[in-house]
Amino acid sequence: MTTGEQRATDLEKVLRRGQQQLAAGSAADNWLSAVRERGASDVMTMARPDRKQEAWRYTPTSFLDKAEYAPVVEGPFGAIQPADVEELMLGDQQGTCLVFVNGYYAPALSRLAPGQHMPQVAVLSGQLGDVPAQLKAHLDGIAEHHHVFAALNSALMSDGALLYVPRSASVQAPIEILHVSVGLDEPGICHPRHLIVLEEGAQAQVIERYCALGEAVYFTNALVEIILRPGSRLSHERLQEESALAQHLSDLHVRLDEGSRYKHVSATLGGAWSRTDLRLNFAGEGAQADLDGLMLARDKQLNDVHLDIQHTAPGCISRESFKGILDGRGKVVFDGRILVAQDAQQTDASLSNHNLMLSRSAEVDTKPQLEIYADDVKCSHGTTVGELDHNMLFYLRSRGIPSARARQMLCQGFAEEILDRIENPALHGRATRLLTERLMTYSE
Amino acid sequence: MGSTATEMDELVARGYEHGFVTDIETDVIPPGLNEDVIRLISQRKGEPEWILESRLKAYQHWLTMTPPDWSSVRHPPIDFQSISYFAAPKKKPELQSLDEVDPELLATYEKLGIPIEEQKALAGVAVDAVFDSVSVATTFRKTLADAGVIFCSISEALQEHPDLVRENLGSVVPHTDNYFAALNAAVFTDGTFVYVPKGVRCPMELSTYFRINAQNTGQFERTLIVAEEGSYVSYLEGCTAPQRDENQLHAAVVELVAHTDAQIKYSTVQNWYPGDAEGKGGIYNFVTKRGDCRGDRSKISWTQVETGSAITWKYPSCILRGNDSIGEFYSVAVTKGMQQADTGTKMIHIGRNTRSTIVSKGISAGKGQQAYRGLVRMTQRAEDARNHTQCDSLLIGDRCGAHTFPYIEVKNPSAKVEHEATTSKIGEDQLFYCRSRGLSEEDAVSMVVNGFCKEVFKELPMEFAVEAQKLLAISLEGAVG
Repeated sequence: MTTGEQRATDLEKVLRRGQQQLAAGSAADNWLSAVRERGASDVMTMARPDRKQEAWRYTPTSFLDKAEYAPVVEGPFGAIQPADVEELMLGDQQGTCLVFVNGYYAPALSRLAPGQHMPQVAVLSGQLGDVPAQLKAHLDGIAEHHHVFAALNSALMSDGALLYVPRSASVQAPIEILHVSVGLDEPGICHPRHLIVLEEGAQAQVIERYCALGEAVYFTNALVEIILRPGSRLSHERLQEESALAQHLSDLHVRLDEGSRYKHVSATLGGAWSRTDLRLNFAGEGAQADLDGLMLARDKQLNDVHLDIQHTAPGCISRESFKGILDGRGKVVFDGRILVAQDAQQTDASLSNHNLMLSRSAEVDTKPQLEIYADDVKCSHGTTVGELDHNMLFYLRSRGIPSARARQMLCQGFAEEILDRIENPALHGRATRLLTERLMTYSE
Repeated sequence: MGSTATEMDELVARGYEHGFVTDIETDVIPPGLNEDVIRLISQRKGEPEWILESRLKAYQHWLTMTPPDWSSVRHPPIDFQSISYFAAPKKKPELQSLDEVDPELLATYEKLGIPIEEQKALAGVAVDAVFDSVSVATTFRKTLADAGVIFCSISEALQEHPDLVRENLGSVVPHTDNYFAALNAAVFTDGTFVYVPKGVRCPMELSTYFRINAQNTGQFERTLIVAEEGSYVSYLEGCTAPQRDENQLHAAVVELVAHTDAQIKYSTVQNWYPGDAEGKGGIYNFVTKRGDCRGDRSKISWTQVETGSAITWKYPSCILRGNDSIGEFYSVAVTKGMQQADTGTKMIHIGRNTRSTIVSKGISAGKGQQAYRGLVRMTQRAEDARNHTQCDSLLIGDRCGAHTFPYIEVKNPSAKVEHEATTSKIGEDQLFYCRSRGLSEEDAVSMVVNGFCKEVFKELPMEFAVEAQKLLAISLEGAVG
């Protein structure tokens, strides 16, 4: 690369280079070839998202023009010792923790918890033994390539966590999936691919985290598939604390069968550009989903959440509550669609999105949507955008609390409504600490 | 419940009550659209040269555009060459009084239950009756003239007040705005022009009854209302159309200009032919309505009751440019049978302390589909701006749909935006309560629906509110099983 010359990312080139790399790799993942081919052919036909596409109206992808992202080669991450990532680990955890460095499974950093009712744990790269047949059968079962990045993930996936919780098993300790990104010379793009399957009546807790060692430019393009069989229960907690220069895209696909329950809390704090697409499909009657999310956007940071909640079966309940706090030239994009299909009677769905703007140059673009084709339903959405309440600030200041501290307290209170939904104490502690640190840096 | 279900079927199957064709000779340009047709329209109307130029410019631009596909409405492609772009009643009477109006026309109005005489007596309303595309009767012009208010057809305004028209026409909705606005700018045949001078409170509610009558004639009205500093005007627009088989295109453009301290209140009751039970026929209503609050403390208020048309596609909007200006949008939309409605509003907050209120009530029955689609934009300059949006949908029947697509864009932290939406079916408990008090199911439904829409109806001028409730009753009574 000549100095000063700006290079852009060509997604087709990313695909070609990634495919070459995969071809040179081991043959252990040959079973993935059909999925990869489907992904590759979609990459070739899908255009790069631009503002003319409704789902990308407010989310520019101009970062692709500013740097050339190349597929990350599995490489010299062996040098990373447990001590290096200690700061990133959650304390007091008993359960399995699968650590991925730049998208590749790192056995030396991971922990496999012994004990009964163990879920079957595997990784795509086969480093934890052969992938069980029931997981192979479900992979790519519900993912849809509704944008080119999802197709790219399918085409180039090489590693990721695969969890299978057998019928009626209840996993006590949370299972953690931790991504650590380490800066490389060139901006890299990696495609973590996870699959979580809970069989009938099974129960589990999964924590999914994305962190970085140092400030680095990279693009995490993750895709997660979650299948909840009848009567199963999953608590899914996500904390995204990527490097401030990074791009992060999470594409989540969740299917809920009859009577299953999905509880989701996410806090997206990091990255220069962060987007989460969550598509949740109610495939069986009487299922319930509770989704909460906190989105922080500091100066020049974009934080985007797109929800697509599909009530295709009758009698399901969904609750979505997302909050954004913006500072500097931060931008929050929220799109929350609730679809109630014909005959999905007795649906009860409500969605809310509240945003707090702390600066004059921030921007919120929010778009809750209801699309309803059944009549016996209860659906609502509400959204607000505003600044801190002057009366509240005045009250705190009149009690002797300095202005800056008063603002932090109010923001903290606003955000904690979401963070308090996190069940894991260590994760809750970490998220709260990161929030407090962030609020301290806010200018106005 | 069995008997109610039958009643419902009957009501849903009920034909269009206002469907009849008045037999008046019309002067129609053969179907088709090209520059010659536009020249012909302009020539027939004896227009000044500049308006022909702007028509041709709009036409050229229209040729480069494609029909919008982003809305939820579905319809077969429109063949713009099969539409006749001009139809005027052949008799062009210079009328001094109602006696001179074609008796057949008067009879038509009587059938609709809105005879001009009654309007005159009851409400003191001046009616500029647009029969097809040319105004044939104007009343109360003298009272208005005394106040200095200009209220006439746009073709007349082009002759008599060319400067006023030239200054404002296309200033709120330019021909480049959208596909249908471009088409309208090229082929508009008539419409209304209102000018309220500085400090004048228009002495009466202005109203125009539109009527689409000739077979295969699209209507392309152009309405322009200019309210000068400190003035006030309330404008009513109401429509019914006779039954026919061909889909008819209606692509109107309405532009409102409110200067400092001026207020414009624009009310619409729309009840065009919605098509038969299979969705055949019916009006395609693609309308561009926009108001510009140009001056400080100006106010524009849109109220609409939309019960007709096979397809309704309209987004009456406000550009809140002046500081402290106010925009309002109150809407009741009813879709039944195979009707589709995609409607909503845009509130663009530019000035400081601007406020907007959006209240949208959607009622969907049978196989009706409707969507609220709205935009609230707070620009960086919109200090302390406020918006409150309330969108409620009521579903009657398990084959209808109601959708809500609000867009909210905020670039100023001191702006406060609130949006709420709910969707539900008519409360069984409410109906049960009413019935336990001895009300029939039909009355109970009517009561609940009227309560649901009350917030909007109270914004309508009195005589319009009555008509609106009548229309709602025809559309929905007892439509619950």
